[in-house]
Amino acid sequence: MALPIVRTLAAATVLLAGCVTQHPQNAEEFRKAAPGAFLAKMETHEINRSMEEIGATFQERAPDCLNMRVRTTSQTPGSYQVIVSLYKPTVVVTDQRAELHLQRHHERGVLAVTKEPEGGYYLMVADAYPVDANRSRLQIFGPSMGYDVIYRAIIGWARGDNLGCPDLTKTG
Amino acid sequence: MIRPPRFTACLLGVVLLAGCSGIKTYPDASPKNLLVRTEARSGSILGGTRVSVHIHEVDANCRTQYLGTVQLDEPTVEIGIPQGRPSYLVFNFYSSSFLGSSTGSINYETLLLPRAGYIYDATARYADGIYYVAIRESGARGSAGRQVARRGLAECTRRS
Repeated sequence: MALPIVRTLAAATVLLAGCVTQHPQNAEEFRKAAPGAFLAKMETHEINRSMEEIGATFQERAPDCLNMRVRTTSQTPGSYQVIVSLYKPTVVVTDQRAELHLQRHHERGVLAVTKEPEGGYYLMVADAYPVDANRSRLQIFGPSMGYDVIYRAIIGWARGDNLGCPDLTKTG
Repeated sequence: MIRPPRFTACLLGVVLLAGCSGIKTYPDASPKNLLVRTEARSGSILGGTRVSVHIHEVDANCRTQYLGTVQLDEPTVEIGIPQGRPSYLVFNFYSSSFLGSSTGSINYETLLLPRAGYIYDATARYADGIYYVAIRESGARGSAGRQVARRGLAECTRRS
């Protein structure tokens, strides 16, 4: 009688494994994978600032706010978990767009089950494209749940109206 | 009702834990030259955020020595930071959820080299998962002042 359960579990394991056989190894792969991926999304915002201004703010704020090692703990009756995560931002500004990439490497508490790019798995990519001299379109690729503070911080930097840093202990 | 022996044991435990945490109150013996304005809103009715600043002195080799901590539990708090030599300020935002089942702690660190005759006005703000720290320097005669750039410990030998 246990066989159907075993088969179901085996099938579920194969399906889940199929979902994450490989993670994106660079920002471009992440942009392509995120919109159709499970628990991921792409959102777009119109910003009343030039792409150059957005790029300058990304260059100022991202290293200050996102280049961090974060330790979080959670405990429930019978369990105590410590996770140490190292975040790495990269800002690239070209004539075409201003990019902000955010990678995360778990130093403790989470196993890497697929090949991890140098600097950590890609967590988020934000691109600002020029619409005209004073307006831009901001596209953010990332997780659909649990990372609201980073989305809000990036949008605040792009708009220039909130230069605060996201509390990275509030993610996941 | 807690019986006296149990109460004493609890008190002893609290004292021991406080001692083990390594946190001590900043002596705050220098003339007050840093005003910290604090706003903290966790965004959750079941959780809370506490803000504090840990103060370290910095020697010529950029080594730090912890002097103590000031709890920023009032809207404005005045602190005396020694003039003419660098101090390393670590603003800490500590969040906990309902009954402390999960906690998080995030720091904003910067060097500060207070100059004689100047006062420093710091903002430490935490709202809905976004935090912000800024320090302004102004002359005692009410000049407009300037924003003090964030500086890492490696820059401790730079005199400005």
